[in-house]
Amino acid sequence: MTTVIGASIQIGLVLLLGPLLEGLMRTLVRARIHSRQGPPILQPFYDIFKLLVKADVQPTTSWIYALPPVLCMATILTASLLVPVFGQAVLGDYGDAILFIYLMTASVVAIVLAGAMSASTYAFLGLAREIMMMLTVEPVLIIWLVTAALSAGSLNLSDMAAWNLEHGPSVSMIIAGLAVLLAIQAQVGKLPFDIAEADQEIMGGPFIELSGPKLAMFEWALWAKQFVFVAMLVQIFAPWPAVAAALAGSVALGYAVSVLLLLAKVLVVVVLVALIDAVNPRLRIEQAMLYFVSIIFLAAIGLAFAIVGI
Amino acid sequence: MSPTDLAVLSMALFVIGAVCSAVLARDRIRCGYIAFVFVLAAAAAASTAGVRVFLNGPAADAPLLRIADLGASLTVHVDYLSALFLIVVALIATVTTLFSIRYLEAHPQESALRYYPMLLLFFGGVVGVVCTWDMLFFIVFWEFMTLASYFLVVYHRDDAVALRAGLKYFIVTHVATACLIAAVIILYVHGGRSFSFEAMRVGVTNLAVHAPGLLHVVLGLLFVGFATKAGIFPFGDWLPDAYPAAPAPVTAAFSGTMTKLGIYGLVRVFFQFLPVYDTCLVWGAILAAFGTLSIAIGTLTALAQDDSKRLLSFSVVGQMGYILLGVGLGVYFRPLVPALAALAVVGGLFHMVNDACYKSCLFLSAGAVEHRTGTRDLNLIGGLAGLMPLTAVAAIFASLAISGIPPFSGFASKWLLYHAAFMGGKTAPFTLVLGLIAMFVAIATLALFLKFVTITFFGKLRTPDPKRELREVPLSMVLPQGVLAVLCVVFGVAPMLAAKPVYAGIAGMLTGGEIPGFAAVFGSGSAGLALNTGVGIQGAWMPWPILIALAATAALAYVIYRAGDAEVLVSPVWYCGEEHTDEETAYLAHSLYRPFKDMLRVRIGPYETEGIYPRLPRLRAPGFGWLRRLFDFDQWAYYPFIRWGARLVGRFSETHSGIAQLYLLWMVIGTVAAVAVLLWLGGS
Repeated sequence: MTTVIGASIQIGLVLLLGPLLEGLMRTLVRARIHSRQGPPILQPFYDIFKLLVKADVQPTTSWIYALPPVLCMATILTASLLVPVFGQAVLGDYGDAILFIYLMTASVVAIVLAGAMSASTYAFLGLAREIMMMLTVEPVLIIWLVTAALSAGSLNLSDMAAWNLEHGPSVSMIIAGLAVLLAIQAQVGKLPFDIAEADQEIMGGPFIELSGPKLAMFEWALWAKQFVFVAMLVQIFAPWPAVAAALAGSVALGYAVSVLLLLAKVLVVVVLVALIDAVNPRLRIEQAMLYFVSIIFLAAIGLAFAIVGI
Repeated sequence: MSPTDLAVLSMALFVIGAVCSAVLARDRIRCGYIAFVFVLAAAAAASTAGVRVFLNGPAADAPLLRIADLGASLTVHVDYLSALFLIVVALIATVTTLFSIRYLEAHPQESALRYYPMLLLFFGGVVGVVCTWDMLFFIVFWEFMTLASYFLVVYHRDDAVALRAGLKYFIVTHVATACLIAAVIILYVHGGRSFSFEAMRVGVTNLAVHAPGLLHVVLGLLFVGFATKAGIFPFGDWLPDAYPAAPAPVTAAFSGTMTKLGIYGLVRVFFQFLPVYDTCLVWGAILAAFGTLSIAIGTLTALAQDDSKRLLSFSVVGQMGYILLGVGLGVYFRPLVPALAALAVVGGLFHMVNDACYKSCLFLSAGAVEHRTGTRDLNLIGGLAGLMPLTAVAAIFASLAISGIPPFSGFASKWLLYHAAFMGGKTAPFTLVLGLIAMFVAIATLALFLKFVTITFFGKLRTPDPKRELREVPLSMVLPQGVLAVLCVVFGVAPMLAAKPVYAGIAGMLTGGEIPGFAAVFGSGSAGLALNTGVGIQGAWMPWPILIALAATAALAYVIYRAGDAEVLVSPVWYCGEEHTDEETAYLAHSLYRPFKDMLRVRIGPYETEGIYPRLPRLRAPGFGWLRRLFDFDQWAYYPFIRWGARLVGRFSETHSGIAQLYLLWMVIGTVAAVAVLLWLGGS
C-alpha cells in the first residue's frame, strides 16, 4: 500500500513539476536573457489544457496512432519510479540502472514510431536525427552509470547513491558527472542539440503531423523526461545531505525534506540547462556527433579513474 | 521411450521424411505438407526428449554402432545442454518448414526436390550433432548438416551471386571442418585412442599437464572451426554472402539452428573438455574479445545495408558476438569468480535461445515481405503495415526484442551479459570495456531495426511493382512468425522460463570447478532475476512489477489523453503546402543515418571500406603463372610470328601509296638500275 501511495505521489510530482520547471525557465531565464517580459509561469499548463481539447488530426481513423504518445508518457513515468528519493526507490527492488537507461531509450522509440506513423518526409528526417543523437549521447549516460556502478559494486540505483553519500565525491564521479552535464542538453532536447525537432528547419521533425492531445502528451512527456533525468543525475551524483539516515524515524517528514532538497538541486541544474539553451544557436547533426564523441572520451577517462579506484 | 530413443526416432523421422518428400516432389504443395508432417512428428519426438531430460535427468544409452578398431562408437546421449538445443531445433524446424510450404510458390521454376529433402536432411544432421557423444560421429553429422546446407544455399541455381556465395560457403566451412578434424585427431592421440567425449576431456587434461603449447594449438583449431560456423567475425565472412542467397525460411533455419551449433561446440569444448585451469583465462579473453569485435563490426556494418536479408545477416554476426561474449566471459571467470562465470554463460546461452526466436522471426518477416512485393531492396518498399498488419506486428515485436527494449526477451539476456561484464570490471577491467562496447552497439542495434521497421512498414506505401496484389501472407506464413513473436514476449516477461534450463545445461556437464547454485546467483524468486555474485543483490529484473507500473502509467496517460474528449479528424499528410509527387516525398532507406554512416567510413590510402567491414582486395593464386603462360601457345608462338609477318608485309604495302608520280619515279629508278646492271654485266 505504501508502495502505491509513494508511486502516486512521485508520479504526481513528476507530472506537475515538469511543466512548472519549463514555465519557470521560459519566463525567468530565457525571457530575461532576451530582455522581454515572457509568458506567464503557468503557460505550459495552459498549452496542455488547450491542446487536450483541440482536434486530433491523423492520417486514418485507426486507434494505433494513440499508442506512441501514451507509451512515451508511460515509460517516462515508470522510469521516474526508479529515482531513489528517500532511501530505496519505489521500483528499486525490481529494476536497476540498465532498466532506467532502456526505459529512457524506449521513450525515444515511442517518438520515432509516432514520427514513422505520420509518413511525412520531415518526420523521417527528424527521427533519423533523433536516433543518431541517441547513438552518440547514450554512451555518455552508460559510461556515467557504469562508473558509479563500478565504485559501488552494484547496478542498483540506490546502492550507487548510498556509495556516493558514504564515500564523498571521487575524481571519477566528478569527471563522469561533468560529462553527463555536458550531454544533458541533448538528452532533454534543448538548444544547441534540439536537432531532431529543429522547429525552424524541419518543423518539429517527428512531431510535424501531431496535433491536439498527441502533441500535448509528447510535450508533457518531454518536460517530465527533463525533470526525471535531472533528478536521477543529482540523486546519484550529489545525494547530500544524508536525509534518509538523519530522519529515518519519520518517513513522511524525511520524504518531504528529501523532495524539497531534490527540487533545489534540480533547479540549479535546470537553470544551467536553460542558460545554455538561451545563448546557443543550433548545431548541425555531424557537429553535434563529433562533440559527443569527445564527451565520450572524457567520460571514458572518468571510468579509467574509477578502475584504479579514485 | 527413453529420451535417447526419442532422439533417435526424431533423426529417423527426418531421414524418412526426406525420402518421402523426394519421392513425392512432383506436386510441390503436397510435398511441402508431407515434409511438414514428418518435421512435426520429428520435432515432437525431439522436444519430448528434451522436456523429459529436464524433468527426469539426463539419459545415456548403449552405443548403436561400435567401431572398435578406431575407438569410435555412435553413442546417443541427451544431457541438459543437448536437451536445450533439441527443443530450440524442434521449434525452429517446425516453423520454418511450415513457412516454406507457401513461400516456394514464388519460385515455380525451382524443383521442390532440391528443397524439402535437403531441408529435412539438414535438420536430421542438426539433431545428430547435438545428441551424439562421440567426436567422430559428431564430425560425421556436422558434415552431413554442412553438405545439406550447401545445397540449400545454392537453391536458386540461376543466380550467379548465389552460386558464388555457395562456393565460398563450401570452401570456408570445409577449411573449418579440417581444423576440427586436426584438433580431434591430436586429442584422440593424447586421450587414450578413443573419440568419446570423456576421452576428449582426458586428452585436453593430459595436454594441459604435459604440452601446454600444443593445447593452445588444439583449442585454437577448435575455436576457428566452431567460430566459422557461428559466423563470428572474421571467420564467418561467408555468412553475409550465403545467408541472403538462400530462400528466406532456410535462412531462418540456419540462423536458428546451424549458427547456434557453433556455440554448442564451443560450450562443449570450453566447459566440458577444458578443466578449470589458467588456460581458461587466455581463451576466455580471446573468445570475449572476438565476440565483442563481432558485435561491433557486424551491427555497425548492418546499419549501412539496404537489402533486408543482407542487413539481417550482418546483424546475425553481431548477435552471435553477444553470445560468444557471454561464453567467453564465462570461460574467463571460471577460475576467478564462479558466480560471475555462471552469470555470463547463462546470459550468453539465454541470448542464444532468444536470438533463435527473434532472428528467425525477422528472417521470416523479411521473407514474407519479399514474397508479396518481390524485392528485398528497402529503398523500393515502404508503408506495408496497413496491408500486412500481422507481419508488421511480428516484425516490430522481434525488432524490439533484438534491440533489448524491456519487457521483450532480448532485454533480459543482454541485461545478464551487461551485469557480468560490468561487475567483472573489478576483477578484470577489460571486461568493462567489452561490456560498454556491447551496450553501445545494443543502441546501434535499435537504430538498425528501427530502420528496418520504419522503412518497411511505415511511411508512404511504396512497392516496386504496382500490379502485384499486396495483402497479408497466408496463415501458414503468419503462424510461424506469430509463434516466434509470442516467444519473444514470453521469455521477456518470464526470464526464469529460459534461464533455468540454460543454467541446468551448463551446470549439468561440468566436472570439477562447479558453478554456484541457481538460487545463489539468480535469486530464488519466481517473479524474475535478482543477481548476486557474492556482494549482495547488485541489480534486479522483475518483469511483473515493472509491467504493472507501465500498465498503470499507460492507463493514466490514456485517461489524460482522452480527458479533453478531442474529436478525431482525418487529413492527408501536410507537406507545407507544396506541390509534390510521391517520389519527391519518399524518404529512402539509403538516406537514413547518412551522417552517422559517414563517420564510420574507414579510409586508408586509396583503400576505402563499405562502412567498417573490411573487404579484402581480390586475390590471385600466385606461383602458377608460368605454367599458364607455357601452355598459351598463341601468346608465345603464333602471335609473335604473325605480327612479324604482318610487319614485313606492311613494309611492302607502304610502297603502294597511290601516287602516280611515285610509281613513275620507281619505274624510272628501276629502269636505270636494270640498264646499269645490264651494262655492268655486258662490260665484263
